[in-house]
Amino acid sequence: MNPLELTLGIMTAVGGFVDISELVFAAKAGSLFGYALIWVFALSTIGIMVFGEMSGRVAAVAHQPVFNLMRHRLGLKLGLVTLFASVLSTLITTAAELGGVGLILHYLTGAPYLLMAVVGVLVLGASMWVLPFQWIERTYGLLGLMMIIFAVALVAIHPPWREVAGGFVPQVPKGLSTTELLIFGYFMVAIISAVMFPYEAYFYSSGGIEEQWGPKDLPNNRMTTTVGFALGSLLAVSILASSAQLFGPMNVGPEVAGSSALEAAIPFGRTGLLIALGGMLIAIAGAAVETCMANAYSVAQFFGWEWGRHKKPWEAPRFTLAWIIFFLLSLAIVLTDVNVMSLVEYAVLFSIVVLPLTYLPLMLLANDKKYMGQFANKWLAKSLGWFFFAVITAAAIAAIPLYLLTSGGQA
Amino acid sequence: MRKLLLLLLFVAGCSKGPRADVPAIGAARSLGAEWALVNEEASRGHLTAVYVKTMRQQLREQLQTNASSLRQPDSRYSVEIQALLAEPDGAAPEELRAHSNKLKQIEDGLESA
Repeated sequence: MNPLELTLGIMTAVGGFVDISELVFAAKAGSLFGYALIWVFALSTIGIMVFGEMSGRVAAVAHQPVFNLMRHRLGLKLGLVTLFASVLSTLITTAAELGGVGLILHYLTGAPYLLMAVVGVLVLGASMWVLPFQWIERTYGLLGLMMIIFAVALVAIHPPWREVAGGFVPQVPKGLSTTELLIFGYFMVAIISAVMFPYEAYFYSSGGIEEQWGPKDLPNNRMTTTVGFALGSLLAVSILASSAQLFGPMNVGPEVAGSSALEAAIPFGRTGLLIALGGMLIAIAGAAVETCMANAYSVAQFFGWEWGRHKKPWEAPRFTLAWIIFFLLSLAIVLTDVNVMSLVEYAVLFSIVVLPLTYLPLMLLANDKKYMGQFANKWLAKSLGWFFFAVITAAAIAAIPLYLLTSGGQA
Repeated sequence: MRKLLLLLLFVAGCSKGPRADVPAIGAARSLGAEWALVNEEASRGHLTAVYVKTMRQQLREQLQTNASSLRQPDSRYSVEIQALLAEPDGAAPEELRAHSNKLKQIEDGLESA
């Protein structure tokens, strides 16, 4: 294991962990329920560690992308249903991320939001055209480390650490009304979805194949998914805890995406604000690229096309065309001027419904000794896999009723 | 499953009168508080001019959307939201918080009714 590669991999995972939905839901969750939802972030992070590790292991051992194996495992019809559902939910997620990029550029430059969304797509598209996979992943992941400002800001505002630590214990706050309990439930579901977005497994495992992982890379895979995701999740928890400390007592929701940057501006002034906005921009832009590529990977792998950013764009023309089309479709959604916060809610809602469809085949593949040999899931991975499958299935069933009953977590 | 979804849609759509406006009131309350926080931090020199301008613009736009979505346009909370909208961009944080607090009281009252 190359220590430099490992460190870079972990740092990339940290910087690339947070996206717009985590930003939005962490800030709202902290303001509404204090520290009481931290444990849901912790639980979901263990979930994404389990499935992320599995998807990386499948890529390293079977040398097959997840969607290719999924088609063989599920058959063409069910595979197509999974593909369609996954593409749709990830497309909405890409639109939410692109809208977020437009908004943050709007806060930084004052130029019109929709124009900034178009500029964002052009710049991100150019970076995807020019950079090979590893550089795409590293550039956005490492620059995304600016998000650490949120952890530093949390330390600077001296939160009640005992209460923050208490948030890691599974709980439902006492004395909530029925409406508040439903909203609490809605936020639990939304956080699970935001942390365990299906695109993460597709992108991560496709990256493993792009980088030609083999069994020797499995320790690296395990460290990246455990240490990297855990540290990345702490950034989301920091946003939640700062919100509980700063926004909750002031009745701030928050209702607009840019409010989260105030968490760094309050202790550190303009410098904090600019670093926070910069970190948010890169983190959201990185997620836009990842979601767009995840969709192109899924379609290309399902239909057996040439794919990958290790090839020149014209060497995998249908894959290249796919990511360009997905970017343009997402931009078209943004250009309808739909509210970005609403897009985030739809992305989270659609994704949670798709999650069981995504992770069940992956788990069955990782359990299968025919594909995985000695690297098939052992008892711990199997137990955790089934436990989290039960969690996401329950969340998927509850998601739409909770959304309707709480008007999207508002009342 | 379809019957359950239809029932939920029916229940969700059943809210009438002021209770149906609670989500909009809650959002307006938060928007007012965010505006106050932005102005407070701006007065301390903690924010850039561009950020302040774009945030105020966005908060005001969202408030306007909220105000126009109310089902009871002549209600106490509608008047309060209009009063918040009438505030100048650089209004004192205390003024904005006062509107936000009034909306919070109305919101709590409707929720517990």
